[in-house]
Amino acid sequence: MNNVIWQRLFGFRHAFDDPVTVVLTLAVVALLLLAPLLIFITTRAGKSTADKRKELWDRYRSWIWLVLLILIPILAGAFWTIAAVATLSFLCYREYARISGLFRERTISLIVVIGILFITLAALDNWYRLFVALFPLTVALIAIGGLIADQPKGYIQRVGLGVLGFALFGSGLGHLGYISNDWNYRPILLLIIGAVELNDIFAYICGHLFGRRKFVPNTSPNKTVGGALGALVLTTPLVAVIAHFIWTDTALDSPIRLIGLGIIISVLGQFGDLMLSAIKRDLGLKDTAKLIPGHGGILDRFDSLILVAPAVFHYVNYFVGFAVGQPQQIFTGG
Amino acid sequence: MEPWRLQPARDTGLTPAERFRSVRRESGLLESFAHHACFSLLRTYFAIAHRLTITGREKLPAHGPFVLVANHCSHLDALVLGAALTPRHRERVFPIAAGDVFFQSPVTSTFSAIMLNALPMWRKNCGPHALADLRRKLQEERAIFIIFPEGGRSRNGSMMPFKHGLGMLVAETNVPVVPCGLVGTFQALPPHRKLPRPLAIRLQIGDALEFALTANDREGWSQIAATVESCVRDLVAQSRTA
Repeated sequence: MNNVIWQRLFGFRHAFDDPVTVVLTLAVVALLLLAPLLIFITTRAGKSTADKRKELWDRYRSWIWLVLLILIPILAGAFWTIAAVATLSFLCYREYARISGLFRERTISLIVVIGILFITLAALDNWYRLFVALFPLTVALIAIGGLIADQPKGYIQRVGLGVLGFALFGSGLGHLGYISNDWNYRPILLLIIGAVELNDIFAYICGHLFGRRKFVPNTSPNKTVGGALGALVLTTPLVAVIAHFIWTDTALDSPIRLIGLGIIISVLGQFGDLMLSAIKRDLGLKDTAKLIPGHGGILDRFDSLILVAPAVFHYVNYFVGFAVGQPQQIFTGG
Repeated sequence: MEPWRLQPARDTGLTPAERFRSVRRESGLLESFAHHACFSLLRTYFAIAHRLTITGREKLPAHGPFVLVANHCSHLDALVLGAALTPRHRERVFPIAAGDVFFQSPVTSTFSAIMLNALPMWRKNCGPHALADLRRKLQEERAIFIIFPEGGRSRNGSMMPFKHGLGMLVAETNVPVVPCGLVGTFQALPPHRKLPRPLAIRLQIGDALEFALTANDREGWSQIAATVESCVRDLVAQSRTA
């Protein structure tokens, strides 16, 4: 392994090489510092109850931990980033398996877990062919694993749930890890995660301000057309401007393509949110777990990221590509 | 053959700490791996250190639900019974343990839940509600319970009378009760010792009993307690003379 790869995997000294990383990190820190003030003002001015206030503060405290858990691995190096993405995949799959009842199917669950492990290894190794091959191969393994119980009743449901779980949390979220193979992965990941989370907040605020017409009342009664459009209008230019500084003078650096990226993040972020709402409603649950105070489960927090990750990856990959000209198969290639 | 149902884990919505102490707990992949590893290790340990001999193993039902019942005079008892079951059984084995001993602190409750898959029984305020939850779990999840109906470890090694709780779990059901006699665990690890001595342990498994026709009331429960108690006494006596 040469020094360039080593520096990408573990070189925390390069954390702030790209000015966009510096700006985004400072923005996040500034938001975290400002938030208590905002909470204080809104709870003082408004007629919020003690419960509501406690929930806001719970959320804020959880956000500090979440930001640290996201920011530190990304800044520390690609190895830690990929490890963090793998942890996120496992935790999301675990919650999904528990709420859907799929966890009782030990063979299928084990295959999904092994699939996530291999996706992580492929990302770590920068082995794109394996990364791509793992989706159909794992699906085939799940279909085979479902046969072992020799219980055809419910076979489609069990295998279908397994495939959906792997597609969303193994393959889908795994794209975030694969992006870390790019030398300049830090601002890209910060942009994706930051924009998705801001998009949620924009939708929430705009919904409160101009939300009148319900969007999909059966799936998620609190979502409004106003909120969705407001988030789209706010997130898209923000993403376009930051992306312009990340991909300066590349094929992606044209206004229409940059706006396209913003629309993808905003729209798919909101659909990811709705997807989890639909899953929860189907199961009759409010939250997927009781793990993060004020938020619910891991899935409740990261639902918006799930559909965005693969879409952004392939959009950027179409125009620019990731890790262009960098060595492939850094561990298995000899 | 049961049709597939979308059924969330029964413990959904509990915090991790609540979950470990809950009767509704259902093990996931990692936990189930931990129980398997733990009981496999214990089996090896008992075979080597205590020359564990098991007689009547063929009398165990092939799958749950059933209840293993034995005399209780040592912390080793539940471990011996858990280790005596086949790997096929281990997925669904729940030793019913004293809440005030095994689930008092977060450390012990995490250990009891993850390694042993134990369920808490709160001796001070164990109302019919807690037993109703266990009764439902036994049948719905086809579980295997390890129960010591004496209600605690005997301090002198001789058996104490059985309590009613067992009857409240199995009366008017087809759930088999498998009586077992344990000999040697008191000498190996009596209640006042901290570490076990490597002395021989013998386990005698008896014929399964069913109480489908015994009424689920106070009278039925005492009848069940008396029947199972005399079976266990016989098995212990057989084991002693063997």
